[in-house]
Amino acid sequence: MVIRPIAAIGRGTARWLARLGGLARFAFEALASLPSLPGAGRRVAGRVLLNQLRFTALDGVGLIVLLSGILSFLVISSLIRQLGRVGATDLIGELMVVVIVRNLGPILTALAVVSRSGTAITAELATNTVLGEVRALEGMGIDPFHYLVLPRLFGCILSTLTLSVLFDVVALFGGFLAAGSEGMSGARYLHIVLAKLITQDVVLTVLKSLVFGLIIGVLPSYQGLSVQSGPTEIPQAVIRGTVGSIVLVFIFSALFVVASS
Amino acid sequence: MTPPLVFEGIPLARIRRRTRSSIDRASSEGDGLFSVEVAPHQTVVTLGDETSGVDSLGALAMGLELSPIGAARVYGTEIARLERRAQLAFRRKVGYLPAGEGLLQNLTLRDNVRLPLRFGSDFQSDEIEGRVDVILAQLRISRAADVRPAQANEEERRRAALGRALAFDPELVIMEQPFDGLTERVAAELLEIARGGETAEGGRRTVLVTGQDLPALLRARVDRLVRVVKGQAVAGGR
Repeated sequence: MVIRPIAAIGRGTARWLARLGGLARFAFEALASLPSLPGAGRRVAGRVLLNQLRFTALDGVGLIVLLSGILSFLVISSLIRQLGRVGATDLIGELMVVVIVRNLGPILTALAVVSRSGTAITAELATNTVLGEVRALEGMGIDPFHYLVLPRLFGCILSTLTLSVLFDVVALFGGFLAAGSEGMSGARYLHIVLAKLITQDVVLTVLKSLVFGLIIGVLPSYQGLSVQSGPTEIPQAVIRGTVGSIVLVFIFSALFVVASS
Repeated sequence: MTPPLVFEGIPLARIRRRTRSSIDRASSEGDGLFSVEVAPHQTVVTLGDETSGVDSLGALAMGLELSPIGAARVYGTEIARLERRAQLAFRRKVGYLPAGEGLLQNLTLRDNVRLPLRFGSDFQSDEIEGRVDVILAQLRISRAADVRPAQANEEERRRAALGRALAFDPELVIMEQPFDGLTERVAAELLEIARGGETAEGGRRTVLVTGQDLPALLRARVDRLVRVVKGQAVAGGR
């Protein structure tokens, strides 16, 4: 009677670890395949990368501007109102940097990229697999890592990085507008915020964006290429890829907070 | 002279399970081991029902599947056992038309034919375009070249897939169920294109066709017909 629940926990843990191991191996194989990308293949993969950047970064600008602008406007106007009552409006600089630039910026950007591109990557690669396109690529002597995975991986890393920077810039600007609407001068707002923004914040944001981009490039690709049984598995793969990416983004975000403190 | 393609002692009927225990079970169930040698410049057709495992032959030869016992050798090399980079390079020497064509749905038929040349050769761009134009004309799909696979009909897709397989002008072509859903006339035309013209040495391409059936019109055009019966190769006449 006691053994059964323990065995069930053990089986679940083993399955989870096996999946994690498979994912780590996939990421390693993808990156390890980079040096063997043939010269001619680089041009083709480069075009796929540009396509991915257009879809993930360029087409995602509107969403990021909207999210960042509204969020920063709401947060800063609320903070000025609340902190103004106790004469502590100087704290908005620290709150802006800690809450939005350092934490919410990379997380919300990653979530936006997961929802737009992570889902698309899983669905596309799963369809490629089900329709026999991946096998056909192998048969032609084209490594699916070279043609399908690496452009998407680097596309996601570069896109998440640039969109995170954009998020932070728009957030600062949104805060500037909010400060103005609450009667604080723009110069004072910029002075308070920029005084709290240090190099470490920028480095941390860049590092987070790189890691989140890596997660969004790897996990959806892994789930997409893991489909075996047929088209009915595609939506399940999309769910696994999306939920898994979101969970990993939050876990790594927490790890960053622990490591940086 | 090394034969272009050899299958040696492969437990074909059970190949999908890939485990040692399933091989033991296969033997105990009386399934035999599959062995066939495809001689240079010959067109060999291997037929079997859907449970015979005949649909694994192409993947075994290309090293996309690995038999736990026996071997599939292309020009004396087991592709599946090569190191990854060598494996990919070796596959470019063989024309492979997989079952279901495997055309990339987000590319046009022209781009599908162009892809292996652009990815795996050092040809200049105009050289690639010239070669692709010749292949498309030979396969009579120049007009449909700029549509995507979903917009093309089955015959056009099959022609494009064959064009892609022949992009590097390989000496050996492996085709999985290439004639399913085609008329006998079109099937005969595609087989002739796959075999290619006679070279100065008098030889044509070596071709292996796998499938469940062969159109009657083609039987006279193949050099050897093999049937898979209980996992073993049985001569099926000319």
